[in-house]
Amino acid sequence: MRAIEPVVLPGSNNPDMTDHVTGLALRDKAFVWWWIAVAPVAGLTAVLIGSVLYLFYAGVGIWGIDWPVAWGFAIINYVWWIAIASGGTFISALFFLTRSEWRSSINRIAESMTLFGAACAGIYPILHLGRPWFFYWLFPYPNSMGLWPQFRSPLLWDFFAILTYISSSVMFWYLGLLPDLATMRDRAVTRTKQIAYGCLALGFRGTSKQWRHFHSLYAVLAAIMAPLVCSVHSVVGLDFAGGATVGWHSTMFPPFFIFGAFLSGFATVLLLVIPLRRLLRLERYMTTRHIDVLTKLLLTSSLFVGYAYIMDGFSTYYGGQKAEIVNYHEKIFGYYAGIFWATVLFNVLLPQLFWFRTVRLNPLVVSLIAIGVIVGMWCERFTIVVVALHRPPLPSSYGLYHATIWDWLTMMGTVGFFVFGILLIVRFIPVISMFEMREILAPRRP
Amino acid sequence: MKSLVASFETESNLSEALPRLRDLGEIETYTPKALENEYPPSILPLVVLVAGFLGFGVGFGMQAYADAVGYPVDIGGRPEFSWPAFVPIAFEIGVLSAVATGFLGYLLVNRLPHLHDPVDEALLMRGATGDRWCVAIRTETPERAQDLLRALSAEQVEELPA
Repeated sequence: MRAIEPVVLPGSNNPDMTDHVTGLALRDKAFVWWWIAVAPVAGLTAVLIGSVLYLFYAGVGIWGIDWPVAWGFAIINYVWWIAIASGGTFISALFFLTRSEWRSSINRIAESMTLFGAACAGIYPILHLGRPWFFYWLFPYPNSMGLWPQFRSPLLWDFFAILTYISSSVMFWYLGLLPDLATMRDRAVTRTKQIAYGCLALGFRGTSKQWRHFHSLYAVLAAIMAPLVCSVHSVVGLDFAGGATVGWHSTMFPPFFIFGAFLSGFATVLLLVIPLRRLLRLERYMTTRHIDVLTKLLLTSSLFVGYAYIMDGFSTYYGGQKAEIVNYHEKIFGYYAGIFWATVLFNVLLPQLFWFRTVRLNPLVVSLIAIGVIVGMWCERFTIVVVALHRPPLPSSYGLYHATIWDWLTMMGTVGFFVFGILLIVRFIPVISMFEMREILAPRRP
Repeated sequence: MKSLVASFETESNLSEALPRLRDLGEIETYTPKALENEYPPSILPLVVLVAGFLGFGVGFGMQAYADAVGYPVDIGGRPEFSWPAFVPIAFEIGVLSAVATGFLGYLLVNRLPHLHDPVDEALLMRGATGDRWCVAIRTETPERAQDLLRALSAEQVEELPA
């Protein structure tokens, strides 16, 4: 049985790490694989822009939504993306507070994942509005009609939660990037790059005062970000639970959604870390120890999610409400049952393979299971949104939902945009938080 | 007044040198990570805390005013001042004000953006964000400083053009 490597390989040191990481971002020419990867995702980003423009022109009628399923792909994908984003904050904030050494080298990737995941999520609620040009009505601004938004609605809570989450994530990410941008400025050789990184670094030079305030503030912000991300995902759960809709009206939803956020977040980080550590030759700093920790966390969160699935069934039968039971039977045996069972398979059953160390240390199998989790989480969101809505209490209102090509194009477009964003980060920003790595690396070359 | 920049190879060399350099004049350290000595506590956590509570209070007050006074709407006979429903938005506004105040406060206390500083002219400063431990000294007696720095095992010393 292969042993698990330490958190950095022996012989690693700060000068080598700084040279390597800054070298990656300061390369004159991008890697060939980078161009191969960026071409299709830039195309998909164009598809996203195209489908959004057509949506603005033609209206939400181009999507598959109708009565009774009025929440379709837009809400499914919104919840799916925001869960992926939240996982990054868990790693960067929660595991900062626990002082986990393995966090340092994957923190930047996790936070960048948060930024682009939240960006993909953030556009959906606006697209989903029938009249997106009135989205600012959600904001409590002074208006001549003397109107206020409805503060008692979870949908409005969601607007504030997402606004806070995206703004705070950007500030947290940027603050944590300042020392590394300063390193980039001092390492850059061309004038353009010196000016660009110099402006971005804002004049961070590592003075005693800058460091002193930096460390106090960063710790405080991490302590704020951790409960924030829980609140954001709870509010997303309340979007559903707040309505008296069959299948949604459950107090379990907020924690259930947070479990899902953990699961999809760890899966996405794994999917980014496994290829990047090879392509960028970072095996020295992102070791099998990182993969091992992340897979164990994924396994744990899959058990949480599995518990939520069991409780869902239990509370349905224990509650004994006719409409709830009909809805639940429809979920596990009905038209969309395949999607429910795919959810169970991908989110709960397959991750159980991570009990075995040989599986955890096999990058290919880990990637496949992680992709399965991403798909499974999407299926879970589909089940929650569509299955609950297609069997309302009145049988005369039963209906089916099928996505259209525009639903799929918009969704694939956001996937492309997400990967595009990550590739830009990989190209221009240090992929490892260098100043945090200095805490665990040898200061000099041996 | 002359300015000197000296680089040290290790953190401990710099830390040991610092107490003796302070007699020479104004000094400032430039280091790739925080020096491990006792800093006075930062004001920012307190500012962030106050901003967070203020944001929470203002957010809560705004909702209470809107729903109870400014624009009361009867929803299923629930009380107009239904305060538990105001907590999530008040919390989010509190968090946003805390984080934004912390971020802007950081820039303010450090007087950032501060894109150019005379000390940037020293070539040694390029290493200060990588693997060298630098100190800048403004002194009336540059010769004495040079000698002292060499005695204190400084790796290189650079004099800035006046």
